[in-house]
Amino acid sequence: MTTYLVRRVLVSVPTVLGVATVIFLLVHLLPGDPARVIAGVNATPADVERIRHQLGLDQPGWQQYLTFLGRLAHGDLGTSTHTLNPVTAEIAARAPYTAELASLSIVVAIAVGVAAGVVAATRRNTAVDLLISGAAIAGVSIPVYWLGLMLVVLFAIDLRVLPAAGAGGPTSIVLPAITLASFSVGFIARQTRSAMLEVLGQDFVRTARAKGAGEPRVLVRHALRNALLPVVTTIGLQFGTLLGGAVLTETVFAWPGIGRLLVDSIFFRDFPVVQGVVLLIAVAFIAVNLVTDLVYAVVDPRIRYG
Amino acid sequence: MRNRSLTSLLLAGLVIAACGTGGTSSNTSAGPKHGDKLTIAVGIDPDTLDPAAQTTTTASQVVDMMAEPLVNIDEKGVVKPLLATKWDQSADGLSWTFTLRSGVKFSDGTPFNAQAVKFSIDRLINSKTQATQPGVLGGKSGIQSVDVVDDANVKFTLGSRFAPFAAAMTQTNAAIISPASASVAPNTPTHVVQPVGTGPYKFKDRQAGDHITLEANKAYWGQKPNYDSQVLKVVPDATSRESLIRAGQADVIALPPGNDLPALQHDSSLNVIMGPSDRTIQIVINTVDPKNTLLQKPAVRQALNYAVDKDAIIKTVLFGAAVPLDAPMSKALFGYCSVGSYKFDQSKAKQMLQAAGASGMTVKLISPTGRYLQDSKVAEAVAGYLTQAGLKVEGPQTSDWPTYLGTVNVAPARASTNLHLLGWAPAYMDASQQFQQFLPSQIPPAGLNTSYYGNPQVTELVTQGNSATDPSQRKKAYCDAQKIVWTDAPWIFLYNQRYPFVTTNKVKNVTGLPNEKFVTSWASPA
Repeated sequence: MTTYLVRRVLVSVPTVLGVATVIFLLVHLLPGDPARVIAGVNATPADVERIRHQLGLDQPGWQQYLTFLGRLAHGDLGTSTHTLNPVTAEIAARAPYTAELASLSIVVAIAVGVAAGVVAATRRNTAVDLLISGAAIAGVSIPVYWLGLMLVVLFAIDLRVLPAAGAGGPTSIVLPAITLASFSVGFIARQTRSAMLEVLGQDFVRTARAKGAGEPRVLVRHALRNALLPVVTTIGLQFGTLLGGAVLTETVFAWPGIGRLLVDSIFFRDFPVVQGVVLLIAVAFIAVNLVTDLVYAVVDPRIRYG
Repeated sequence: MRNRSLTSLLLAGLVIAACGTGGTSSNTSAGPKHGDKLTIAVGIDPDTLDPAAQTTTTASQVVDMMAEPLVNIDEKGVVKPLLATKWDQSADGLSWTFTLRSGVKFSDGTPFNAQAVKFSIDRLINSKTQATQPGVLGGKSGIQSVDVVDDANVKFTLGSRFAPFAAAMTQTNAAIISPASASVAPNTPTHVVQPVGTGPYKFKDRQAGDHITLEANKAYWGQKPNYDSQVLKVVPDATSRESLIRAGQADVIALPPGNDLPALQHDSSLNVIMGPSDRTIQIVINTVDPKNTLLQKPAVRQALNYAVDKDAIIKTVLFGAAVPLDAPMSKALFGYCSVGSYKFDQSKAKQMLQAAGASGMTVKLISPTGRYLQDSKVAEAVAGYLTQAGLKVEGPQTSDWPTYLGTVNVAPARASTNLHLLGWAPAYMDASQQFQQFLPSQIPPAGLNTSYYGNPQVTELVTQGNSATDPSQRKKAYCDAQKIVWTDAPWIFLYNQRYPFVTTNKVKNVTGLPNEKFVTSWASPA
């Protein structure tokens, strides 16, 4: 197990290096001059040149790349060209908000999605099933942006019970979390339903019932346990969807997370921050994939990592 | 063990989720004059609060509440005293002496004096200050030295005569900070994070991307502020800002969505204020394009001006948030004079185009998106009018601002379009700033004269206007230059944008300035 972990971590090093290289190339291929954007349209050419020099943007591309890699090796992501603060500080100020939003959303998505999927599977072809399946399709199909606005209109403007935007207090996360979770809830519910239906028709479920196990025990211990493997894969994949959705959700709700930081930084051509955020997301992806693989072994004892 | 690792993963999520940010303070009842907290939603998170590094009006507006320059402008754009009570220039126009207000203290308790002015302005023109933006105040022609005459008088020596110097000193980058504060963490002399000035509010806290909180400076030298604190929430999406004020969770919002202006104006609980602005919006014409020599003819460019119905665009696309241009600059600038109008006349436009052999000419039009109020929609309307006048219009192609700036801010040989929509907002209220758009010395990459226009007569008049010490002489020179530019028509002159902002009817005394800022410092509960 430990050897497996160490190997996986080592294998991810070239992946991160590859991501770092690709993102460095991509941001430098973007049209637009960062020094001009920072200096503003009224700046004199001398101002623009001085800023270009201060930021090291007057150096050749390969030299900037080597500087970037050299710093990266020391865990230094450079300095934001927009705010002049260290990139690590910029990300550290924002990442907790996204972590909070994404983890709450995934918890909501798993709890609601799995429960709804199980209920729908056991009440197959009834009104309840139809309702849940319909809601699941809606959750997958409704654009995050539109759903967010509708929730704001209802809960913030009409009922005035929840904040419309910002991160100012414990209730402010409610609407963003529901909005962000909606897609994953639908997706997980659909996956759980079909996986459960498959398992419920198998012989061992009939055997469990025949030996007199109660229905809750049959459903949870026997059926759900076996249906979970594809669902866990789905949940792992949902992480990527969540980060994508976080960009939109954070914009609609003015949530100060890294999704918005990334978008703002692209508009400001703040290359170091774009690189830093993308690297962080890549590392998070790798970590989540690893955790997903480890959870397989928990769910299915036949899977062993040596 | 196996079950536990899944559970602990979930628990970890819950724990992180529970560690939210601090609680909100509720909006408690407010007296007739005094208020607890004013919440303002703005669209941009200030890149820096360092006065010396200011480039965007939203950030400057926040800095203005904390740190004041020697002079500022009123709602009409006229320069008026602030930390200086009077100013004079020497006979040769090369040195300017400002007399300072006495008895003023910075919000850290240290005294405001000539030493502090020298410290702040030296810092602005020192290239070691991070991302400093001296603009016209720096460089070879700008401030060469700052001398302390005595405690209450300070003398600036310029590299060359510069008549609008006092106007240029109204910019936020010339704000005065407490010298002592620049060495108090997190500030360093080269990078100020939390400015300490003489303003009516002082820095309290900031969460990047979310909010900045300012608290009242109880010891402010002038009229005392009415709200104990003001919170500037960063809400980039215009629709979300509108949601906040409709939900009663913001008292003031900047720039509501353009399409919703009529609906907001109908809401009796809100006030929509069309703040003044010095920003002109124009379709810039490439006047030197070797591939389209027709556009080199002033008559063709005038025809394009007649072809576009400015009033209709203002009414239907901008919902009234603009006034048509009657000069190549906004009324708010010193030196503006009304010089004419290209009244919409499609048949005249067609005639002129035909006479010049330009009927059916193909033009390429581009526009930024999300930079100015309804920008790409205005470009679409312009394209429609030009098509009606018989032109073949390619576009409008749109792009985000940095890409766009990279496309238009190029030397004439690399120009790739005939027409592009651009806004121009002088940093201070003087015609000299607008004329940067019409001087050959400002042709990219040196400046942003992206029509590549130049007329020796205009250049001569502007030089006179920039250096004459007599204000009426300056006005005359600028006015003559505007008449020539208007006839030469390097632009399709569109409109002077307004800067809309919205307040609830529970707030009064929020005013707009022509530099696209709105002042909340003196706001009070209604």
